[in-house]
Amino acid sequence: MYRTEGIVLRTRNLGEADKIVTLYTKTNGKVVAVARGARRIRNRLLGPTQVFTQGRYLIFTGKTLDTLSQGEIVNSFQDLREDLDKMAATMYLSELVDVLIEPGEASLEIYSLLLNTLKMLSQKQINYALRVFELRFAKHLGYEPQLNNCINCNNFPEKAIYFSRQGGVVCDQCRSQLLPVQTISRGTWELAKRILAWDWSRISILHPSEQSLSELEACMRAFYDYRLDKPLQSLDFIHTLKEFSPPEVKN
Amino acid sequence: MSHYAKPLARLVEELVKLPGIGPKTAQRLAFHIVGSSQESARSLAAAIVDVKEKIGYCSQCFNLTDVDPCWVCGDDSRDKTIICVVEEPTDIIALERTKEFKGHYHVLHGAISPLEGVGPGDLRIKELLLRLNEDIQEIIVATDPDVEGEATAMYLARLIKPLGYKVTRMAHGMPVGGDLEYVDEVTLSKALEWRREL
Repeated sequence: MYRTEGIVLRTRNLGEADKIVTLYTKTNGKVVAVARGARRIRNRLLGPTQVFTQGRYLIFTGKTLDTLSQGEIVNSFQDLREDLDKMAATMYLSELVDVLIEPGEASLEIYSLLLNTLKMLSQKQINYALRVFELRFAKHLGYEPQLNNCINCNNFPEKAIYFSRQGGVVCDQCRSQLLPVQTISRGTWELAKRILAWDWSRISILHPSEQSLSELEACMRAFYDYRLDKPLQSLDFIHTLKEFSPPEVKN
Repeated sequence: MSHYAKPLARLVEELVKLPGIGPKTAQRLAFHIVGSSQESARSLAAAIVDVKEKIGYCSQCFNLTDVDPCWVCGDDSRDKTIICVVEEPTDIIALERTKEFKGHYHVLHGAISPLEGVGPGDLRIKELLLRLNEDIQEIIVATDPDVEGEATAMYLARLIKPLGYKVTRMAHGMPVGGDLEYVDEVTLSKALEWRREL
């Protein structure tokens, strides 16, 4: 049995009234636990097991699955569930953490990153928050993109700068050997370096340009897709929202 | 299953497939059926076959029905200007029990769940749009108040509101007969937000 603070990443229904809750906890990393009765309207676990909630939980270790027996909300992040774009973005974060982290590996850095990103998403800096998360998450997982010198020849990219999905910048000479690559501007390059090196209080006051954010988005998409076995489900929904145009109705 | 006679084993095997039925319950049900009259066993079997053969979806609201249009859509005394959108046919039963709602329904057969790969295209949303006409004054979104239900509600609002329809959402609030002390923070703050004058 242990007490820990955690963030609910996703939930799945189990049987009539139970839920399987996936949490990322401060002290135990990713935990998958059953919350008995958590779908009943008057159950005390109903609130604390809502997706994206940060709470303090009491968990009993079991042979196969743990049991979540008590919960108390620290921050409900209700606004992330009340705005479609924020919700889609948070689901993407949850899925990324869920697929790339195995149960049992605890990292306080990842926990703080997740929490800080949720706070940033609440403030509606959606694109920026996602890019910061992607870059720093890669770093904490041990895949930190190499941004200072070309990943192939280790020279400083003097002219144009490219980004390879293999995890770093590529210079003009090596470009053809590492295709496909994304062209990035010097501003985007600097931004990525800052996101990785600076501490959170300084990152959150930056206001990057739309162009830099969309360049970084393409780079990090290629970077993660290269590392994942299958495409992320939540991306489909983000694309649906981006291409949103109300359909014409014929009567 | 070797402890049972073959026909009994088969029945237990079939019953255990039902939701909420474990091997013990299946055994109890099977023995009950063995002990019941020929007539009631036949009637049970006939009811099961009947439900599979006769029940389909209403072509308008997609509720489960044996007649098309269903008893709600075919009832002229109901208010045609309001459509209440729900996730599942069981939600209609719950709402009908209140005897408060006299409008029409639309069943989506699920909720948007990006992490499970359920997108707007997997639900009966297009069919809902086809039902919209100038007579309709209000669409009540009564999907579950969980993250999937909220996502569906917000998506529908984004889709339907620009077409000029009034889209409303079921209220969140205190459970009747509940104790304020035990209500979770989120529900309580929603109840405060959605309060009304006495």
